[in-house]
Amino acid sequence: MAGAKTEATVKARADLALNDEFLRKAVRFTTERLRNGKKKATDEHGNWEDWRERGKQIRLHTIAHLDYYLNLFVNNARANGVHVHFATNTEEAVKLTLDIAEHAGAKSVVKSKSMVSEELHLNHALESIGVEAVETDLGEYIIQLAGEMPSHIVIPAIHKNRYQIADLLSKEAGYTLPPDTTALAGFVRKKLREKFLDAEIGMTGCNFAIAETGSMVLFENEGNARMVSTVPKTQITLMGMERIIPSWSDLEVMATLLPRSATGQKLTMYMSGITGPRRSADADGPDEMHIIIIDNGRSLQLGDPEFQELLNCIRCGACLNACPVYRHIGGHAYGSTYSGPIGAVLTPSLNKNIAEWDDIANASSLCGACYEACPVKIPLHDMLVYLRRRKVESGNGSKMESIGMQGFATIMGNSSRLGGVLRLGKLGQKLVVRSGVIKTKLGPLKGWNTYRVTPSLPKESFRDRWDTLDQELKQGLKQMEPSMQNRMEELVRKRELDEKQGKGGHGHG
Amino acid sequence: MADTHKQWLEELEAESKVKQEQFMNDIASKLRHPRMYDKPNHPFRGAPDFWNAFEWSEEERIQAFTDNFLSVGGHVARLGSMDEVKSFIVQKAEEMSAKYVIRQNQPELDALGLESALTGSSVSVWNTDDEQYWRARAAEADFGIVIADHAVAYTGSVTVLSAPNKGRSVSLLPTVLIIIIPIERLKTRLGEVLVTFDEAGREQLPAGIHFISGPSRSSDIENDLTIGVHGPGIVYALLVE
Repeated sequence: MAGAKTEATVKARADLALNDEFLRKAVRFTTERLRNGKKKATDEHGNWEDWRERGKQIRLHTIAHLDYYLNLFVNNARANGVHVHFATNTEEAVKLTLDIAEHAGAKSVVKSKSMVSEELHLNHALESIGVEAVETDLGEYIIQLAGEMPSHIVIPAIHKNRYQIADLLSKEAGYTLPPDTTALAGFVRKKLREKFLDAEIGMTGCNFAIAETGSMVLFENEGNARMVSTVPKTQITLMGMERIIPSWSDLEVMATLLPRSATGQKLTMYMSGITGPRRSADADGPDEMHIIIIDNGRSLQLGDPEFQELLNCIRCGACLNACPVYRHIGGHAYGSTYSGPIGAVLTPSLNKNIAEWDDIANASSLCGACYEACPVKIPLHDMLVYLRRRKVESGNGSKMESIGMQGFATIMGNSSRLGGVLRLGKLGQKLVVRSGVIKTKLGPLKGWNTYRVTPSLPKESFRDRWDTLDQELKQGLKQMEPSMQNRMEELVRKRELDEKQGKGGHGHG
Repeated sequence: MADTHKQWLEELEAESKVKQEQFMNDIASKLRHPRMYDKPNHPFRGAPDFWNAFEWSEEERIQAFTDNFLSVGGHVARLGSMDEVKSFIVQKAEEMSAKYVIRQNQPELDALGLESALTGSSVSVWNTDDEQYWRARAAEADFGIVIADHAVAYTGSVTVLSAPNKGRSVSLLPTVLIIIIPIERLKTRLGEVLVTFDEAGREQLPAGIHFISGPSRSSDIENDLTIGVHGPGIVYALLVE
């Protein structure tokens, strides 16, 4: 899957995305729909800030005591008859999965949506030992047939239109299917029904794990997660080590935040709590249940004051829908399992590989929309700044930028030097100015001018006009109406008073 | 073979227990505290207090449940008695010419006498014969009939719990799902149902607890809503006095 990364940088991949008209429209339309849905759902529910704060507190508390809660979960799950395993990294998780698949004599595995499984590139590994891996979420199934990666955490096939999907499914069916949503979904239902009943193993992710009872909770709309955890003989659940919440009562808060933030639903069509394998007298449910608890870089965030809150993430995708950059370039441009603002921070943090992934942190306008959207209040925009700082500190900053910054300091540090440079610039730009703007993509202006134009330096700069302005201003103040002057002075006095009392600040609350 | 499988699982468990200690010690050291073995004080457990005080009257609950369930494409009927439930099911089965019906094995459903009333359909009762592959019986069924253990008005959800006589497949695999909800089981908030699982404790929990809030759906193809992707596409909630 990572092999799909043909272009090295976010910028190169974004160029590809920007060229694809349909993708751009689809991403904008979908994110808009999800964002409006969220807004409507949260407004209707009311007291949204109180719920966000509660969600954040529960997640903070659990992560701060993760050794206690994870251990409690594991012991309870074992007592329920689950085989619990631990994987430090991708290799260990894959090895465990393949071991289980071999012992189950599996020929095929049906999977419901799991971001962890995407992290592990499990399908490929399973196929290498001759086990067919079938994604059963409608969107995931489509992109699996296309051999692509998900482009959105909630709607993975956002970038495909119905004609492309009809082509893919027709190839699978062996006859031509019409580009009609109902017909296409109907074919998938029938096709995957057989797979569910045939497969020896069902594989799921895990939205939440309840420590006090050792249960795992799944949210979904299609029913495929219920299928894979009900029909096959063996169930494997892949779970990030941070998915824990203490109790079922805490699940009410997560169930209030997650569906509303993800799709604007009051609750997903199905929410399932699974506590161990089938009881001996039950006639369905798995005979054998495995939970693989995966670290894969997560624990690196523990105890890191700048990034520990990343582990609070409940994978709703609201930050993607809110992000102006994601909405413009789509998920594939991020070139990793997790896209959008959360991906921009999570990917380098999980990989602890700032040098390779640094450009993702730069693909952000730092506008803070992601933080506003986050149901558990993760300060993603702050983290993006921390990442950029770490990148520069680790010597992976951009050389051009460093030289630029040094030059800026040299010039700005001395006013006559600045005046000289501006005069030079006015002369120099004559070579590149066309109808009052600079459009050249030569040299340092290439990046900026690809999507916009640089204004030319004005004939008379602000600096040139300063003396005149200064005079006018002083005159103007003298002539100010007394009532206006009083009001201005009142404002200044009030501000000074507030600052003395430590109130206010500069509005960056 | 059985022995070697058991041995293999035991080996895995031994490895897992070693790894568990490493994992927990590593977490504790990264969090810079000694390993925690005692339950920490959790001041923010569950929903905010103002929410826990919120409760609707029975009429409001019925109205809200109905509105929510209809809004996602489900169907709701309010019926006066179990006799009315019986006629409702018989009528629907005839209307849609249901050939195979599967139901949970519960006394309330036995009392409906569907086996004799549904002349055009074959009715099977979950897990009444050890020789059957019950999942396949549920998969071929046109109708699945279940009784809700709980229901939640605020989210428009129904809760079904698994048991030897109550299959998870019955509410999942048939094309049409009929859920009978005794009205006194309809609560206002999700938390009122969830807290019962905390109170019951681990050992009392069934393997499967499922909240169902309407028909199976997907918007994965061009954001176009499709009903009945994997689970039942037609769902009737019958609120019974």
